Amino acid sequence: MTVASQVKQTIATLKGSQGTLRLYASQTRNEETKLVYKEALATTETIINDLERRMQTLEYQEPQYKGN
Amino acid sequence: MQTWIQILFSSVSLFFVLLLLMRLLGKRNIVHLIPFRFVSYIVTAVIAALMSLNLIANLAFGFIALGVWVLFPLALDYLSLKSKWVHDIVNGKETVLIKHGKIMEENLLQTRLTGEELLRELRFKNAFNLADVEFAVMEDTGDINVFLKSDKTPVSAHGLGIKVAPLAEPQTIILDGNIINEPLASLGFNTEWLDIKLETSGVSLDNVFIGQVDSSGDLYLDLFDDSVQLPQPKVKEMLYANFEKIQADLTTFALETKNEAAKQMYSAHAATLQQLLKKLKPYLLR
Repeated sequence: MTVASQVKQTIATLKGSQGTLRLYASQTRNEETKLVYKEALATTETIINDLERRMQTLEYQEPQYKGN
Repeated sequence: MQTWIQILFSSVSLFFVLLLLMRLLGKRNIVHLIPFRFVSYIVTAVIAALMSLNLIANLAFGFIALGVWVLFPLALDYLSLKSKWVHDIVNGKETVLIKHGKIMEENLLQTRLTGEELLRELRFKNAFNLADVEFAVMEDTGDINVFLKSDKTPVSAHGLGIKVAPLAEPQTIILDGNIINEPLASLGFNTEWLDIKLETSGVSLDNVFIGQVDSSGDLYLDLFDDSVQLPQPKVKEMLYANFEKIQADLTTFALETKNEAAKQMYSAHAATLQQLLKKLKPYLLR
């Protein structure tokens, strides 16, 4: 597995977790819990953005693995 | 009129009158009554029984007595709501039996409780050892309540210094295969959401005996058919595990990459994720 595909996998897991987190943030009845979930959502968002930027650099560096 | 018809008539009418009067008296637990209230209940019951058997010649007299024994307790209730003075006279005050771990013998004498009886009452409250009791009080109802020494009280999350997520009461939304709409709506869900949830767990609605939604929105189902194994909601644990995996991934990337900027980005995110995990732990795992 190349580095690029590893990073891609991590991004996928992050996005999946973000979805579940968003679900819980919307269906929980407690305001405090909701805030914690929302904060976690914001954190994952920034991580995803940075990883995707890194992903682009990696794909630029190793074009032969693009799409893997 | 024949006697038996008379008795039938008065019994049936008294049955409903008494039902109404008892509803009027409120839903206080009969076990935790002050002795006087208990007596007033018995008097009401006896009067009603005598009336229903036509042992009281004039029914009007019976109703007068019944009215007094129902209305006076009611009036006393309202008065004691308004005034503490009346409340104390009617209900009496609680008596402290054990203070700072020492038995107050005079108060024990005043309540006419023997040492054995006190010990028995303490055992009812799971205080077998007198040395564990810091404070005990006899309520106006005659119940004895016990406050244990702080090192003998059951551990709580607060005592252990653990943060736990706030939980609200669960709502029952399915009973006997029927959807109960009111709690479902109060949760902010609709029947379509429930349909999707049931479909993902592969159960039909008429197979569900009880369905409850906890405060985080997870659905727990109990089925009529106990041979069907349902996966219990473990989504939150999975979510936490996923975050742990991502955190480990980021740390690996940070170690592997030769690009200095990327290394810093990875390790910074690994650190924030570590903090996030610590924050999420009470909400996802406990």
